[in-house]
Amino acid sequence: MNTFLSRLNTIFAFTLSVMAGLTFLCFLSTVFNDHKTLVSINTGKIIVKSVPDYSTSREKNDLGFVVFDVHIFNWNVKQLFLYLTAEYTTQNHKLNQVVMWDKIIRRGENAILDYRSMNTKYYFWDYGNGLKGNRNVTLTLSWNVIPNAGTLPKVMGEGSHRFAFPDEYSHHGLQ
Amino acid sequence: MNISKYLPEFIKKIPTHMDFDGQKKAERYFQFIIILFAVVGFIWGYMCQQFSQTMYILIAGFTVSCLLTLPPWPMYRRKPLNWQKARAEVEDVGSSVSTSSPPPSSQKSKKKK
Repeated sequence: MNTFLSRLNTIFAFTLSVMAGLTFLCFLSTVFNDHKTLVSINTGKIIVKSVPDYSTSREKNDLGFVVFDVHIFNWNVKQLFLYLTAEYTTQNHKLNQVVMWDKIIRRGENAILDYRSMNTKYYFWDYGNGLKGNRNVTLTLSWNVIPNAGTLPKVMGEGSHRFAFPDEYSHHGLQ
Repeated sequence: MNISKYLPEFIKKIPTHMDFDGQKKAERYFQFIIILFAVVGFIWGYMCQQFSQTMYILIAGFTVSCLLTLPPWPMYRRKPLNWQKARAEVEDVGSSVSTSSPPPSSQKSKKKK
């Protein structure tokens, strides 16, 4: 503390310690948040196709889904990674999960999502022919929370949508 | 690794040193200021839910305490130590610091710290 540089060093080190302490307190202030919110999902046109090249079924449907609230954001959330998952059972596989759409929401961006008549972002392939006539496909929205400090929680939204695929392949091109 | 001997004379003459009491005061002051800004920043950041605000306020506190305690302001130099008068022969050695007898001079500078 007797020279300029040693004082600068001490002040800087002290500031860094306080900064680390503040970050930890910020983490503590949000550690019990469950990051949950209500989600409503719906489906529009649903078709199944047989694409011979890959000997798989493929579908592309319209989705309308709403209500994703700002409440998830607090001062310890830097960004959210949302993804829409379809879950279903086939004869060969007990549990199938396919991500059909995803989105990153950064802090400060509009966190109320309201998309209507939107196509899926990724193809919905099945390993086999399990989609045609499948009666029970569940859509859920989940998200990863990327915080400033702390854990990386994976949260599944409250609310899902169940739909069925038609029993016949559609033969109108690939759209 | 001492760059002080390469510096020009007028820079070396700038006083940088505080007395012991001043050092103690300076340390208290910057600790108090930084903690105060940290607490205010934490509350404000929590209120507007922006952790960046907390960091900015903390950095403001860092700047303020740097301005207040880095330069040896007169208020940190009010209680200089009253050294005893140097004895004559010691003074001879001490005054010829530069070349004649390096070991004693280095000893003396250690004592000063």
